[in-house]
Amino acid sequence: MNKKGLSPMQKALVRRETISAYLFLLPALIFFVGFVIVPMILCLVTSFFSYTMTEFRFVGLENYFKMFQDEIFIKALVNTVLIVVVSVPAVTVFSLWVSSIIYKLNMAACSFFRCIFYLPVVTGTVAVTVVWKWMFNKYTGLFNYVLTSTGVVDQPVSWLGDSKTALWCIILILFTTSIGQPIVLYISALGNVDQSLIEAAEVDGANDMQVFWKIKWPQIMPTTLYILVITTINSFQCYALIQLLTSGGPNHSTETIMYYIYYQAFKLNQYGYGNAMGVILAIIIAVFSALQFKVAGKGND
Amino acid sequence: MKLKKMVSVMVCAGMAASLAACGGSGSGGSTTAAQSGETSADTQAADTPAADEGADAAASGEGAAITLWTYPIGSWGNSEVVNSIVSKFNEANPDIAVSVEYLDYTSGDDQVTAAIEAGTTPDIIMEGPERLVSNWGAAGKMVDLKDLWDDEALEDISAVSEAVVNACKSSDGVFYEYPLCMNAHCMAINYEVFEQAGALQYIDQETRTWTTEDFGKALQALKDNGVATTGVVYCGGQGGDQGTRALAKNLYSAQFTNDDHTEWTMNSENGIKGLQQLVDWCNDGLLSYDAGAVASDELQLFANGTIAMTFCWNASNQANYASQVSFTPYAVAFPSDDGTPELEGGIYGFGIFDNGDAAKIEAAKKFIEFVCDDETQGPVSVTEAGFFPVRASFGNVYEGAENEETMSAFNSLMQYLGDYYNVTPGWTEQRTAWWNMLQGIFGGNDVTETVNSYVDTCNAATQAAMGQ
Repeated sequence: MNKKGLSPMQKALVRRETISAYLFLLPALIFFVGFVIVPMILCLVTSFFSYTMTEFRFVGLENYFKMFQDEIFIKALVNTVLIVVVSVPAVTVFSLWVSSIIYKLNMAACSFFRCIFYLPVVTGTVAVTVVWKWMFNKYTGLFNYVLTSTGVVDQPVSWLGDSKTALWCIILILFTTSIGQPIVLYISALGNVDQSLIEAAEVDGANDMQVFWKIKWPQIMPTTLYILVITTINSFQCYALIQLLTSGGPNHSTETIMYYIYYQAFKLNQYGYGNAMGVILAIIIAVFSALQFKVAGKGND
Repeated sequence: MKLKKMVSVMVCAGMAASLAACGGSGSGGSTTAAQSGETSADTQAADTPAADEGADAAASGEGAAITLWTYPIGSWGNSEVVNSIVSKFNEANPDIAVSVEYLDYTSGDDQVTAAIEAGTTPDIIMEGPERLVSNWGAAGKMVDLKDLWDDEALEDISAVSEAVVNACKSSDGVFYEYPLCMNAHCMAINYEVFEQAGALQYIDQETRTWTTEDFGKALQALKDNGVATTGVVYCGGQGGDQGTRALAKNLYSAQFTNDDHTEWTMNSENGIKGLQQLVDWCNDGLLSYDAGAVASDELQLFANGTIAMTFCWNASNQANYASQVSFTPYAVAFPSDDGTPELEGGIYGFGIFDNGDAAKIEAAKKFIEFVCDDETQGPVSVTEAGFFPVRASFGNVYEGAENEETMSAFNSLMQYLGDYYNVTPGWTEQRTAWWNMLQGIFGGNDVTETVNSYVDTCNAATQAAMGQ
């Protein structure tokens, strides 16, 4: 609105509305600045210090150089990227597939399936993880019971204790706890696709695949972009599962950057080093998110 | 320093907030500021009558409100028991308010770390020397407790074990812990399963000891009798790692560190031999290992009767699992080549965080003296922990108790208490390196090479901690 043409009364009203808007924003802004912006700045600043329980000394980029010579950090970085590369496409594709089937069902059936898939999200990570841990137990777990009973394996498998299987178990659990929200979002997005466009395409002779890719897919693209970004961030920040199930083992095969940051900061009290890793993680997430916006965000406002 | 303090507080507020969801603190007793007793050391120097009164209060700790954080050491994790102890303390010291917060071993250390950096530590904390002395004491966060360690206490505690006295002080002789009780960690067998397999013959039931050779024979007897999994060498994390350390080092009487506690020595010939023996038993199917299990998982398998022995037993576990087991858990020492084991010890007591408030420090000392030294309360405090007194004058605190026989069995193992090397600098790094090393050797890596690498890691951490 052009303020120049406004009367003094109108200007006063606009000013009052602006002040009210800022006042409404203020509580959230205080929390955002206090618990996000300030810690981020402090994290960045302290990453240039040798900061322990007894020391606070400026070391410049030493923590960053040390990080890339730290074999465990490199291992954690590779594991984290593997988790992201596997789980993000898997979660997105599976959620889309399930949603495209569910959204056509009647209201009751659709709600039922939404509840089923959303349950692991609302149950809480610790409870879900404990149940998975029971199922993966080498001696009394469900998986080994079924596999040994059916003769698929001779000896029980230590699912979380074998470096060949442990990370895949983590990815599986992460997958089950990550699909709930994307499915709910996709069902909503698919339900909002303009029905008249679909009908018009069908009248013109388009088959199901063409309708999906030419009509539905472009319209649910903003939802896809959102799902890609939040799933990527959640996968990069995989910590609780590792803490509760493997502590990064065996042989660091499930070590993730988030868990390694925790270990350095809270177990070894290397706060500066941990913060430096946090900065690198934030940069990687930002790069991944930017790429996703670049690739999937074309044409989306 | 001002910048560091400010940065510390803000960073830790963020860290603590982010960890709050993962933390599992117990009752979360609120910390009350010592409003009336806030009399600093500076005030004591003043010469006005009011200041004199304040100085007296600071010296006596009267009117202070103090906070106790306790790990779940026996019933010291039970709010009813601790509240009862606090009530008894308040009968004699009505002016000192004590609030309690209960930590657990999963997130407790993280809470303390966050509190240290944020400057919100409790006044008193209950745990062992590896935390109170080697970690927080060495970092200059704790109060010197030399006035609690008077001649009488020194003599009484030394009469039980000189190792306890040494464990409670730093390498430069400063006492950061005042001990209450101690125990020896051991292993336990399923008595009936061993009996059925004819494996009891390999245990000297009078001394509850066995040799490495006999242990091997017992494993074979169990296997021959159809026991699918005899025991599990757990290495999925650091929980209960004292069991796997004791098992590996005792098999061929290796030492975990040198006498000065400045170097790690499990790469000695005997240390490697012991670890190789464990790998061989696992390869032969006589033992099992699980890199996905920690001690609590292994204990549950033992309690279920799935496995025939546990490497993580003590009097407290016996009490905790008593209602779950349908067999006789029989405590025994770890097997050793000469039949004389060196058991891992636990020494539990109190330390005081230096919060810069003389009144609170005095009040905290009064509380510790009451809990540990009082003729009536001291033995009760020990029995609530479920372990044994560090004071000779307390005698047999379980005499006439319902569990006297059980505790007598555990007491008989106390004579095998070995060197308390947990105070070696770099202890925290060692704990992580240990289970990672076990995962490596059981995963097929060369034992000698992996153990050497583990020792190098630990020694580097020790040297860094010692400022070398």
